[in-house]
Amino acid sequence: MERSFKKEIEALKLGDGEVFRGEGILAVTKALLQSGVSYVGGYQGAPVSHLLDVLVEAEDIIGGLGVHLETCTNEASAAAMLGASINYPLRGAVTWKSIVGTNVASDALSNLASPGVMGGALIIVGEDYGEGASVIQERSHAFAMKSSIWLLDPRPDLPVIVRLVEKGFELSEASHAPVMMELRIRACHVSGAFIAKDNRRAAQSHLDPIAVPARFNYDRLAHPPATFAQEMRKIGERLPAAQAFIHAHALNEHFAGDLADIGIIVQGGLYNSVLRALERLGLADAYGATRVPLYVLNVVYPLVPEEVTRFCAGKTAVLVVEEGYPDYIEQQVNVLLRRADLQTRVLGKGALPEVGEYTGEVLLAGVASFLADSHPAGLDLAPVAAAAERVAALKQAAAGAVGELPARPPTFCTGCPERPVFSALKLMQREIGPTHISADIGCHSFATFAPFAMGNSILGYGMSLASAAGVGPNLATRPIAVMGDGGFWHNGIITGVASNLFNQGDGVLVIMQNGYTSATGQQFMPSSSTTRNGAAPGMSIEATLRAMGVRWLRKVRTYGVAAMLKTLKEAMQTAERGLKVIIADGECQLARQRRVRAEDAGKLARGERVVTVRYGVDDEICTGDHSCIRLSGCPSLTVKPNPDPLRTDPVASVIESCVGCGLCGEVAHAAVLCPSFYRAEVIRNPSRWDRALDRIRRPVIAALGGAEIAA
Amino acid sequence: MSAPVRPLTLLIAALGGEGGGVLTGWIVDAAGALGFPVQSTSIPGVAQRTGATTYYIEILPAPWSELGERRPVLSLVPGAGDIDVMVASELLEAGRAVAGGFVTPERTTLIASTHRILAMTEKMAGGDGQFDIGRLLKAVEEHAQSHVLFDMEDTARQSGSVISAVMLGAIAGAGRLPIPPEAFATAIRTEGKAVDANLRGFAAGLAAVRRGSELTQPAAWEKRRQPARATLVQLERQAIEVMPRAAIEIILEGLRRLAAYQDLAYARLYLDRLAPIRDADLGAAAGGRLLRETARHLAVRMSFEDVIRVAQAKTDPARLARIRADMRPAADEPLAIFDFFKPGIEELCSILPPFLARPILAVAARRGWLGKVYWGMEVRSNAVGGFLRLKLLAKLRRWRRFTHRFAEEQTAIEAWLALVIATAKLSTDLALEVADCARLIKGYGATHARGVANYRKIETRIIRPALSGSYALPVAIDAVAAARTAALADPEGDRLEQTLAEIERRAPRRAAAE
Repeated sequence: MERSFKKEIEALKLGDGEVFRGEGILAVTKALLQSGVSYVGGYQGAPVSHLLDVLVEAEDIIGGLGVHLETCTNEASAAAMLGASINYPLRGAVTWKSIVGTNVASDALSNLASPGVMGGALIIVGEDYGEGASVIQERSHAFAMKSSIWLLDPRPDLPVIVRLVEKGFELSEASHAPVMMELRIRACHVSGAFIAKDNRRAAQSHLDPIAVPARFNYDRLAHPPATFAQEMRKIGERLPAAQAFIHAHALNEHFAGDLADIGIIVQGGLYNSVLRALERLGLADAYGATRVPLYVLNVVYPLVPEEVTRFCAGKTAVLVVEEGYPDYIEQQVNVLLRRADLQTRVLGKGALPEVGEYTGEVLLAGVASFLADSHPAGLDLAPVAAAAERVAALKQAAAGAVGELPARPPTFCTGCPERPVFSALKLMQREIGPTHISADIGCHSFATFAPFAMGNSILGYGMSLASAAGVGPNLATRPIAVMGDGGFWHNGIITGVASNLFNQGDGVLVIMQNGYTSATGQQFMPSSSTTRNGAAPGMSIEATLRAMGVRWLRKVRTYGVAAMLKTLKEAMQTAERGLKVIIADGECQLARQRRVRAEDAGKLARGERVVTVRYGVDDEICTGDHSCIRLSGCPSLTVKPNPDPLRTDPVASVIESCVGCGLCGEVAHAAVLCPSFYRAEVIRNPSRWDRALDRIRRPVIAALGGAEIAA
Repeated sequence: MSAPVRPLTLLIAALGGEGGGVLTGWIVDAAGALGFPVQSTSIPGVAQRTGATTYYIEILPAPWSELGERRPVLSLVPGAGDIDVMVASELLEAGRAVAGGFVTPERTTLIASTHRILAMTEKMAGGDGQFDIGRLLKAVEEHAQSHVLFDMEDTARQSGSVISAVMLGAIAGAGRLPIPPEAFATAIRTEGKAVDANLRGFAAGLAAVRRGSELTQPAAWEKRRQPARATLVQLERQAIEVMPRAAIEIILEGLRRLAAYQDLAYARLYLDRLAPIRDADLGAAAGGRLLRETARHLAVRMSFEDVIRVAQAKTDPARLARIRADMRPAADEPLAIFDFFKPGIEELCSILPPFLARPILAVAARRGWLGKVYWGMEVRSNAVGGFLRLKLLAKLRRWRRFTHRFAEEQTAIEAWLALVIATAKLSTDLALEVADCARLIKGYGATHARGVANYRKIETRIIRPALSGSYALPVAIDAVAAARTAALADPEGDRLEQTLAEIERRAPRRAAAE
């Protein structure tokens, strides 16, 4: 895996009264252990990957607590795990990146939420929204509402998050409904501390198995006619039970302020940002004392009507701070006030932008305009307006300060085995013309950025082949679907390959086989060559595809650009119908380097022979056309000033971070670019024979005019 | 004592893989160890993969012990105009921070490395796509209340450490945080990974700040000049007599280059070819500008990259020395250098005499072999066998004059010079633009062919029409510049075609002047 969690694992062992220090998502992990969960599952993905990653490394702890851990092949299998809590008093938690993960899990979630649960069921979702997000911008809130799953959005303060996790299980059990906790990116990675409790061993787990399976009970099936009764129970019993629990345990928080005729209703997750905005407007201090009354929703669904109405009663106006669209909370607040016949004005979207992340500046401007609009008694608006204008002006001036800056999106790492495939694709397109490329989720989606700028659509994780199904038949040339091995096992195997074969489809599928789910931190997956405990899962993509009936199947080493180019062209041009699969084989370079560096260090220490390889560019032969860069985009391949006094354009240059993957040489060769690339090898700890040969060579070359001085 | 009004805010902009997370950890640990309330957040996501990302830290400059019941509420999001310390691991990212409003004269101390890690779009341009460093430095200087600017990457290399450690040293040196250097050093030790290296980098960064870093443009790159040669003295003296001072430096360099590339006679040809340009320059009162630029391009064009030139360069002792210096092998560690060649029919024919090359190329073209048939080879150029082969190729220098490629290039060069002279009669600026179009013709194989084709497009669709008066002068000058820029920015793409179309659309040709 990309990082090790030794330190964090120690923190998971902390007991009563000890101080836990760490990031939000690990605090959640600790809270799960303190809540006595019997099982945990999920699918990795920023920003919640660490929850699973750390538990995978903490086998000894969770084993002792009787926690069963599954690193699921996708979010649907994770969500389905919660089925264990339908019939048994078992607490379970699952996690994934949302919205995408929730989309994948939604079928299981609906069928879980309908019968409801006996044991506490908690779903931890990383709300991948705003700066740093890598998925479409939608809200998990919608899923919670449509399935009657209660949604927690805790203040990003570790003690609050931990309390909400623990209370979340109780809420789930008290109302027999699953509970979802949404944590924004920064909340998952926020550092902080809280007073730990002892970890709790679940009453029943694989350490103390339940003796007798649950009796047949039709009401626990999401199957008609039970579903009709369940729908009524959701609204008739579970909802009131949940609202009663939320109120009784004061899960939402109220902060009083002297500007009593207005107030702000805010999602717990945005509390800190709102407070900072008030602070900068001179209406709060750094310690949470605020002049504007705040009603903080640590539970954003369901709302508790009497709490909302009590907060709004006697106020002329309230501002609802709710990130993203649609404005579910704002609408609900309006309905509640209408029903209570309260005339309090509700501002929200409008004072604040309808969409987009609520950053510091956005909230500052929004709150300022709310204050100007609602004009609370006893507030001098002038300084507030002034403060807001200062920031707005600053923002404007800053934007023009340097002009348009080149973007710097993520890209393939130096030596990445996936880059050569796109070099080959680019070369192929030069030869046979443009091709439709349906892209996918994974490191390979970086090919959508310069210098490749490839990909006509991204329909989701493992969906590339499926999303080409309707394209192929309507296009003169075959579409190419690119998919990672992670995506293949996540669902590409079924939605893509099986469906294509079943429908006798045509087209080309390139599977990047790098051995890990690399983009999320190199977790192991079914076709990894090994796992943490050393044993290979033993599932082969190649064997699977053959068993499924793929006839045209080639496995090509990714760095062989010429071979890859030839294979791609063959796949595109062969008269043979049917799915053509190219397995682009090459281990994730990040993982490989971690291994190889350690091995080489060992060898060097033991005095064994090691050949270090690096590529270079002859700056006298390079003419500065940079076509090599346009075909590679390697971070280690850059440009430097031209040493030629008669030329001005910079020349290509390979910097020290080069790992010697050989792509630049391969590309120069396959594309017939130029002869300026060379490979240099240094033999560390040379053998006697190496030295002897070297001693002969150098003087001879010197004699021939190469001036290589003898050693 | 009264508790502080606001926390100190620190925003770190780094690239994935530079250890920004580790750096953040050190700062949080140091502040925590001193009993200060501290909080950090980050948005790693996939930005770890060499993309730009940020880390945000807030520290309340008063220990918990003095706060009593109060708990500060720290923000997870940096606010424009609200940053006390802005740290950037690279100059463009410092510029990005300025653009984001995170660097303000009222408050911000900017700590940034002055080195550049070029963004993809800067590297991939056919010409020079690098963002103007001067503009970045200016913006950074103008917007920061105070700044610490030095090449932290270089400092890291010098101290055998990593940039994150140097950045920590710089932060300690800047002294804006209530954290003494020792506390940071302790944090490095407690973290316990690569402690010695990190402490070295930390110390180096600290020292650099205390030394007081002077904000300077990066040093001009060492240009590799041709050595003077006895055989040239005569010709060089002649050049100094007949050529204006403004261009002489370039011309002398050109003479030496071409003498080395071919022979004395070829160098003389260079000088002769420049005579009419000199006159055109005088005629247009260009003050030597036209001559200098044309002389520069002419020398490059006359020393075109053929198989022989490549062999010359690959067997040049200086080259082996450079690679040795770059790889730094120990005295007893053998160094092997492998070169990749892939000559095709064109390359073969380029060293045959025209009467042989032409028919062969004709046949190859008919059979569709061009751009298809190649002989790929990997040569170990510092082993006896490989070196000999290259040396023999280099020896073909004398034969070059009789080759097909030589003939082709001379014709093209004459045509280009004629265009420069002709346009000079209309306008120096136009002539300069035309001369500069020589930049389009570079590279090898397909790249070279594309360059030539792009040049031809500009010649036939703008320069020739301009000469016949179809375009107004100012229009023509801008048009040539725009078209060349487009062709350099995106050599394979269709940006040139779009630009030409746009020009022809916007400036409908006038009826020919005469």
